[in-house]
Amino acid sequence: MTAGGFQMLLNGAWTTIWISLIAIVCGVPIGFGFSLIRVKRVPVLSQIVALYVSLGRATPLVTLALFLFVTLPVFGIDIDKYTAGVVALTLNTASFNTEVWRSAYLAFPQSQIEAARAMGMKQRLYFWRIMLPQMWYSALPSLVNEMTLLIKASPAIAVIGVVDLTRVTNRIAAQTYEPLPPILIAGAMYIVIISVLVRLQRRLEKRAERYAT
Amino acid sequence: MPEQIPVLVVDGISKSFDGLEVVSNVSLKIHSGETISILGPSGSGKSTLLRCINWLEKPDRGDVYLANQRVGRKEDGQLMSDAELASIRVQMGMVFQNFNLWPHFTVLQNVIECPVHVLGLSKDDAVFRAEQLLEKVGLKVKRDAYPYSLSGGQKQRVAIARALAMSPTVLLFDEPTSALDPELVGEVLAVMRDLAAEGMTMVVVTHEMSFARDVCEEVVFMDEGQVVERSKPERFFSNPQTDRAKRFLARYE
Amino acid sequence: MTDLQIVLNEWPRLASGFGNTVLLFGTSAVGAFLLGALMVGPLRSQNKVIRVALHSFVDGMRMLPFLIFVYLLYYGLPTFGVKLDAWTAGLLGLIIYHCAYVAEILRGAWDQLPAGQTESAQAHGYHGHRLMRRIILPQLFLNSAPVFGNQLIYILKDTSFLMIITVQDLTYAASSLQSMYFVPLEPFLIAMSLYWVISLSIEGLVRAVQRTAKVRGLGRA
Repeated sequence: MTAGGFQMLLNGAWTTIWISLIAIVCGVPIGFGFSLIRVKRVPVLSQIVALYVSLGRATPLVTLALFLFVTLPVFGIDIDKYTAGVVALTLNTASFNTEVWRSAYLAFPQSQIEAARAMGMKQRLYFWRIMLPQMWYSALPSLVNEMTLLIKASPAIAVIGVVDLTRVTNRIAAQTYEPLPPILIAGAMYIVIISVLVRLQRRLEKRAERYAT
Repeated sequence: MPEQIPVLVVDGISKSFDGLEVVSNVSLKIHSGETISILGPSGSGKSTLLRCINWLEKPDRGDVYLANQRVGRKEDGQLMSDAELASIRVQMGMVFQNFNLWPHFTVLQNVIECPVHVLGLSKDDAVFRAEQLLEKVGLKVKRDAYPYSLSGGQKQRVAIARALAMSPTVLLFDEPTSALDPELVGEVLAVMRDLAAEGMTMVVVTHEMSFARDVCEEVVFMDEGQVVERSKPERFFSNPQTDRAKRFLARYE
Repeated sequence: MTDLQIVLNEWPRLASGFGNTVLLFGTSAVGAFLLGALMVGPLRSQNKVIRVALHSFVDGMRMLPFLIFVYLLYYGLPTFGVKLDAWTAGLLGLIIYHCAYVAEILRGAWDQLPAGQTESAQAHGYHGHRLMRRIILPQLFLNSAPVFGNQLIYILKDTSFLMIITVQDLTYAASSLQSMYFVPLEPFLIAMSLYWVISLSIEGLVRAVQRTAKVRGLGRA
């Protein structure tokens, strides 16, 4: 492994990280918004979201990324591979996040809502002041779990040409004819990135336990 | 004494769950300053009745009037919206068996939450009143603590302060000491006794016979959804009229 | 010829891809579950060496992307003289990678099982793999059906990564149809619908297992 190879690996890691970050940052609030549509049972929209969630969770990322990259130009939307990658990851993670938020809402202790209603609080008030601050705590471990899954699935964008941390190993091997070292190092880098998230998730789980009186 | 206008009227309330009638045609009148207790074996429908008063449960039949306002239904008989119900519930306080404090707020924040966000009090005013109430229930020193660090008795006293902060016309208590360890029951009952002595109108569903006997103006005994006996505590405890009441009291000898 | 007609003409290609996906999915699912079930006992072993080794393996797989592991098998192993074809590398990758997840799920479920279950069985003379097969494993699977259902769906989706190392699965078929005949929409729509159908079947299976569990008072809320 040459110094140049290391540089390429770092570039690949950076690509993986920034694309994943955008997808995560967009996917959490989008999932939240969609979960609201579902729990409020907005007519028509609620069914569409349910359909999207079911499809989104069942569609492999490789297939989705290819589909977006190849099909959208036909409808006049010129999309570059990076945008297609980000959109595919976001659509995918948002569908899972919708369910995470929805579970947090449905699992919220009815007793606290009753106390709020008995004191004359209206639904919008107690949703934002009582439910949401606590739903964050119960949803966060699952949201972070979803983030680790996103990073583990991110190599899917290699199929549309994005040189991420996985695909870059092909490039390095093409130059050095030694495929094993870059793969091992890339694997180690993934483990480092993901273990940070896993540790965060464990800490959040302990904190959520404390709040679940 | 001239006939007082009752502050809370319960008129022919009935409620069924899954085809089983849990509350059958119950009527009550409570006057200002009165404390009445509702006693009865488990499953007698007393909690359900209480929850029908502030429409946490929707009665199948019957009406509730708070100071001449109809609760749950509007003048034309239409069901009230959640928002309309909320504006009536503001006048009724409720204390729950499991306290139901909000764990992400401190004690003080729990007490000022509704005065600020529902009644529109300024934060300073709400804090001032909250500290008075916490002092009254003996927990001013815990104002910045979180509920999880409190004992059951302390949590319930905070819950009472929280309900009082809304200056309610009537206070409803749903088995307020049933979830407490025996040694913690006394501190909560003491607060409730003081409230009664100060003239708060209270409806208390309870198993605490001493409270019912010493503090209440009237005892309402329910069994299988109906009001079986209703009398002053002296008479109820020393000379129950019905067989069911006798059997119930025998268990507490 | 409309796009759809082109695609319908080429249905054998799609069918072959679909068949490969189902074959890969089915075989690796069975393999991963078997291997994971075999692994969970040793994973909780008193022997520190075995336990730590297996834990490291499980943790490692859970922190690696699936594709990198397949890369390791397909591109990396030849360095040691082991040359696997794409299909074998893919299948092995699926089985080994996912058996770690299955083992971890089973371990978590076993920890939640009341100790009395194992003890009463042992008191009656059960031990070893009979204990596992007749007493422990059935309860673990019945209790955690939804989690296993999710894992099955992950296995299904991971099969599509194999198209990157040229395994001719459903996504590969859709992609090659698209590039050969310039039909961008239909092949992918059909492919995604087929993935969806398999996924819905898995969810149906989970519900059936949950019904079985409920009758026996097992399963979590």
